[in-house]
Amino acid sequence: MWIKRLTNFFTTIYTNPTGRVVLLTLYYLAIIAGLIIMYGRGNFTTPKFVYQGF
Amino acid sequence: MRATPRLLSGMISLLILIAALTGLDYYARSLEQRYVSALAPLDLNQTINGIALQRAALYQSDLLPVYGSSEITMIDTQYDAEKFFSAYPTGFAVFNVANFGAASLTMAQDLAALGPDLRGKKIVVSFSPATFTMSKLPPDYYAGNFSPLHAYEMIFSPYLSITLKIDAARRMLDFPDTLQSDGFLRFAILEMTRPSKANRMLYYLSWPLGEFQIMTMQLQDHAEVLSYLWSHSVSSGVKKTPQTIDWSSAFSSALTAQKQHTLSNSLGVEDEDWWWYQHVVTKPIPAGSEDKGFIYRVEQHPEWIDLDILLRVLQELGAQPLILSRPMNVQLWEALGVSEQAQDTYYVKLNSIVNRYHMPLVDYQQYGTDIYFSIDQGAHTSRYGWVYVDQTLDEFFHDHLH
Repeated sequence: MWIKRLTNFFTTIYTNPTGRVVLLTLYYLAIIAGLIIMYGRGNFTTPKFVYQGF
Repeated sequence: MRATPRLLSGMISLLILIAALTGLDYYARSLEQRYVSALAPLDLNQTINGIALQRAALYQSDLLPVYGSSEITMIDTQYDAEKFFSAYPTGFAVFNVANFGAASLTMAQDLAALGPDLRGKKIVVSFSPATFTMSKLPPDYYAGNFSPLHAYEMIFSPYLSITLKIDAARRMLDFPDTLQSDGFLRFAILEMTRPSKANRMLYYLSWPLGEFQIMTMQLQDHAEVLSYLWSHSVSSGVKKTPQTIDWSSAFSSALTAQKQHTLSNSLGVEDEDWWWYQHVVTKPIPAGSEDKGFIYRVEQHPEWIDLDILLRVLQELGAQPLILSRPMNVQLWEALGVSEQAQDTYYVKLNSIVNRYHMPLVDYQQYGTDIYFSIDQGAHTSRYGWVYVDQTLDEFFHDHLH
């Protein structure tokens, strides 16, 4: 039942031009956030080596 | 709006992203400024491989950044500058950016990454004669200190001359393993070092992408620092205890401590390293027998090319550096078949290169006959040697260096 209500809620917003832009913007931001979380982390580690003088 | 909702949403998302990243950058910089003094003694990986904390340190009037190698990190002692000045006795503390095996080319990239922030700033560049007198820089040492962020900043820096960047790029190509995983950086380096105009054009065309990559890595650098601060309880306060340093007492206690660590031999070698050198006693090497090889090695050493690149970076960015070398242990090197006269080759060459740039140089050559200044052939600073270095740093910071 709650899925149906949620679908109706989003459908109602989506039919409104402004609501559609807001929803799309949130959708895009969620994708960007996901990409940053998955691939955004830098790698500042360096390979290990044994220092034995020069 | 009905015709282009996706385009509009895309643009709004982009604007929000740019605003969020700008906010993150601003927030991170303010936190880094606040915490850099507290983070200085922790010698974080991010301090060495990033630039955010190094940049923050440059703007602290009571931090003296010291760039160096194993002569700084080799022994853990209360006399090393980081600990010696940790309570800001004379009004400053040391901010070490040092790691084992970090040579001139690594430091050049690191300093190039700081760009115009270096202008007018006092910094210390430290190294030991070992990098110029012993084997060539091993590729694994270079790789172990290689920072892609620093490398990108060096290659795409708008603040350095193209000739300097090409010279640095040529040397970076001598360590191909470090470029293997980054095709774009390798491409830019190869194109800039090739002689034709078409190649140079390709390098310039790659510039915007290089700048974008730098921007991304800088944000990642900030994120790493923020992540550390959020996951560790770090207090931004630093205890400062002004006091007059009793140098003669420091020299005396450091010398006593150093002697306690060199009881096994009469050449000033640290006890735990003596096994490496004891053959010079059991099977003596004829005096001066290694001179020829030593002089050839020093004169041809590629590290001089890298030192020249490093000094040009400092000059073009307008830094106020102190160049700090260390004395070779004359008696130990003589026991290893290299006469004092041959050892002078290093100092002569060092002075001739540094003097070209009119930068202050302290090489401590006069202490070469003091066996307690360093702990081994590599001129790694001893407890006693550190007090001399501390005194030099203090004089440099307070503009009393002669």
